[in-house]
Amino acid sequence: MMFGLIPNCKDVTRMVSESMDRELPWGQRIKMRMHLGMCKYCSRFKRQLELLRKASQSLSAHPAEPVASSVLPQDVRDHIKKALREASSG
Amino acid sequence: MSENSIPPSDTEDRNDSPDNWVDLYGDALYRFALSRLKNRELAEEIVQETFVAALHAYKNYKGRSTLKTWLTGILKHKIIDHLRRKYRETPSDQVEAIADNTDELFNEKGGWSVRPAKWTVNPEKTYEQREFLDIFYQCLADLPDRLSQAFTLREIDGLDTEELCKEMDISPTNSWTILYRARMKLRRCLEVNWMKDFDEKVK
Repeated sequence: MMFGLIPNCKDVTRMVSESMDRELPWGQRIKMRMHLGMCKYCSRFKRQLELLRKASQSLSAHPAEPVASSVLPQDVRDHIKKALREASSG
Repeated sequence: MSENSIPPSDTEDRNDSPDNWVDLYGDALYRFALSRLKNRELAEEIVQETFVAALHAYKNYKGRSTLKTWLTGILKHKIIDHLRRKYRETPSDQVEAIADNTDELFNEKGGWSVRPAKWTVNPEKTYEQREFLDIFYQCLADLPDRLSQAFTLREIDGLDTEELCKEMDISPTNSWTILYRARMKLRRCLEVNWMKDFDEKVK
């Protein structure tokens, strides 16, 4: 990824994301930090990505949370029963 | 995942006849499918396919495993078949074709045009946290397949770049691009839906 001498907010969001997956080259790291020190919105963006990571980890700890309460909807149930009856009579 | 909400049926009895399959095992199979596929309609469809396939194969069922285990085995095959088909239809070299949302978020000079809003998530409140996670889960399910696959492998399964690239058959640079797009879309989806939810609660 090529960035200008002074990275803009869009560049910095990319750097922030990439820094969560690998160690950035030294120059990029410095530029990113300088920008984050001055830019409220990019700092907020960074905290939100960190929250996404934390939320993912709790999904991984409780993977079934939204799933555990799910039941097969009644209309689907009826539909499947009908398909089974047709399959067994046919 | 938890399967304890379904009464175990270890014994073969007449309740196990195909007429009762949907009522006895439908929910368990559905939850299993949902946890793998993360898409309700698709899970419903695959559960139906499973039951129909099971009916045709029932004469081969020897009762060596419980009926539930046998049905789950068929379901697993159906899910794997589906995923194979799906990823074959999305070759990895088309990854770059998945659009990003940076044009809506940044102006032509690369400054924010839609600034990140302040999120009010109080991690102390479990109720809020659960709701946040539910929205998060939905947003993740709505991502394009390759993005949600990459994000899940990286953030939920904790794979590093090398493992992720091997799993998805892509280059490291590609993986960072995909993860960037996934995070941008997820962040925005959460922002829109969480804030909407929050506003409604305040009203």
